[in-house]
Amino acid sequence: MSEPWFAGEREGSMTPLLELRGVRAGYDGVTVLHGVDLRVAAGQVVALLGPNGAGKTTTLRVAAGAHPVSGGRLVLGGREVTGAAPRDLARAGVCLIPEGRGVFPNLSIRDNLLMMTYAGRSREQIEELTYARFPVLGKHRTRAAGTLSGGEQQMLALARGLATDPAVLLLDELSMGLAPVVVSRLYQHVAEIARQGVAVLVVEQFATAALSIADYAAVLVRGQVALRGAPDAALRAELSDLYMGSTR
Amino acid sequence: MTAEPPESRADRFTRELADLKISDPAAGHPRLWQRLGAALMVAGIVLGVLAYLVSHRTSSSLTQGDAVTIGLGGVTLAVVGGAIFLRYSLTGFLRFWMARQSFELNMLAERVFAGSLLTKSDGAIERGGAHRLTRSDS
Repeated sequence: MSEPWFAGEREGSMTPLLELRGVRAGYDGVTVLHGVDLRVAAGQVVALLGPNGAGKTTTLRVAAGAHPVSGGRLVLGGREVTGAAPRDLARAGVCLIPEGRGVFPNLSIRDNLLMMTYAGRSREQIEELTYARFPVLGKHRTRAAGTLSGGEQQMLALARGLATDPAVLLLDELSMGLAPVVVSRLYQHVAEIARQGVAVLVVEQFATAALSIADYAAVLVRGQVALRGAPDAALRAELSDLYMGSTR
Repeated sequence: MTAEPPESRADRFTRELADLKISDPAAGHPRLWQRLGAALMVAGIVLGVLAYLVSHRTSSSLTQGDAVTIGLGGVTLAVVGGAIFLRYSLTGFLRFWMARQSFELNMLAERVFAGSLLTKSDGAIERGGAHRLTRSDS
């Protein structure tokens, strides 16, 4: 193993569940990721930040097996799974919640949750867990998902993801189109999910909310990890420089 | 005897991944098959047109016989290519359609089950002396 990413990794007390090693990927011959290294351990939240077009979503799709790599390796739970079909990874416990919420707008909350029973849990179990975590969804359970507020739809998307009992949760732009107070509340739920032992990789363009719960952060610039470390003041300052294009 | 601690989700994930039979990513290539199907269809049509031109420009029955063979080969290629193309272009759509069908069947089964429960409870009232129509009668 190369240099450690987080405290405890070298001693072996934290083994990464998700690992990207020198991943290269692109679209139609244009390389977007130029050797990305990333690690997320169980119970950890890693925020993947960066400006628009840096390759954050592609990284997430690679981690879910939904995008082919042209180089490098994808390792899950210590096993190399590069090139594995996304359905195999999803069955094992990798869950990607894509940008744009991914709920069925014409179906009710109950029916949206029912669609997730394929993973083995019964409708009753899923509803019980969901309404305990997100009581507001329980109140509107018969309403069409499309009529919910943005924050509630995002909660439903999270609930649908959690219904599959994920070990690795990949979140793409959770904050998109939401008020800061709603985003903050959603990220508290994400922190709670991680505390239950789930490895969470959050892709976010707006850094503040993600950094508030992240154990570790990596900044992607033009397809490469330009900066990584604990989300402390130094990292925030460097991040600000990267975003604003300082030449300091 | 000490009880074993429950397996964490991370441990289960690692164990399940170790046991997971990962299908060969090269085995599928649906897009390649789709392209091959389309290419076969086009090749079949081209062969058909070629066969027509060959037979049209000759009075030799032998050459015309060859043209018929080429034409039949073209038709076969077009049919096989069409089948391959449809198989790989419609798979995604059909998968979703089947998921939808299964969801609707599930809903229907739930409604029928709920309806039968209602009928049973109404029957109990009827046996008690009250005259009442069941939901299915109304």
